[in-house]
Amino acid sequence: MNSRIIYPNDEGGVSVIVPAPECGLTIEQIAIKDVPAGKPYKVVDVVDIPTDRTFRNAWEYTE
Amino acid sequence: MSITINGTTGIAGVDGSAGTPAVQGNDTNTGIFFPAADTIAFGEGGTEVMRLDSSANLQFNSGYGSVATAYGCRAWVNFNGTGTVAIRQSGNVSSITDNGTGDYTVNFSTSMPDSNYSVVALGNTGSNNGYMTLISTASGNCNITTRTSAAVGPDGTIICAAVFR
Repeated sequence: MNSRIIYPNDEGGVSVIVPAPECGLTIEQIAIKDVPAGKPYKVVDVVDIPTDRTFRNAWEYTE
Repeated sequence: MSITINGTTGIAGVDGSAGTPAVQGNDTNTGIFFPAADTIAFGEGGTEVMRLDSSANLQFNSGYGSVATAYGCRAWVNFNGTGTVAIRQSGNVSSITDNGTGDYTVNFSTSMPDSNYSVVALGNTGSNNGYMTLISTASGNCNITTRTSAAVGPDGTIICAAVFR
């Protein structure tokens, strides 16, 4: 699955949900289940997530 | 040995034992028997080796010395926490959440009955003094972190977690 789900976390950063291959759920089903209640989220392509994690905790969620 | 066969009960009326199972092949001390109410057991060579007890617990003798309840792994995952974070393989895991450096939540496909389960986790943080900590458990997920000091991180190239309940 080449999609990721992002949402703002309580620490002011962004959390990235990585779907499990072959889990049998769609990306939307995973979002409904695994994004904390009340959090806005977006489904993005994996290539939109930086691979350089040097400053991972400084990532921010933007609408 | 008495055997009753009819259209509703099939073969009935024989409980058998480990030494003389109710259902046998040509080997008369190997087969299925019924040692107690709501209980099914399996014998090999006259010795009980596996049982489904009246609480639906699976018990087996696989080096225990006698039949004992097996507690299964209810979820597991192996993932790469660096670069493009990705799950290699998993069971009963819908996703992991990358919360930040070294901070991951394992989300279960089917929730645990409660949060009182055990988590076993190991990770390769690229440091000889790295370790992992369990931050929280909930019925739907658990939060684990990699550490080499009081601070969370770094990321791990191989992070494994298994949940037993």
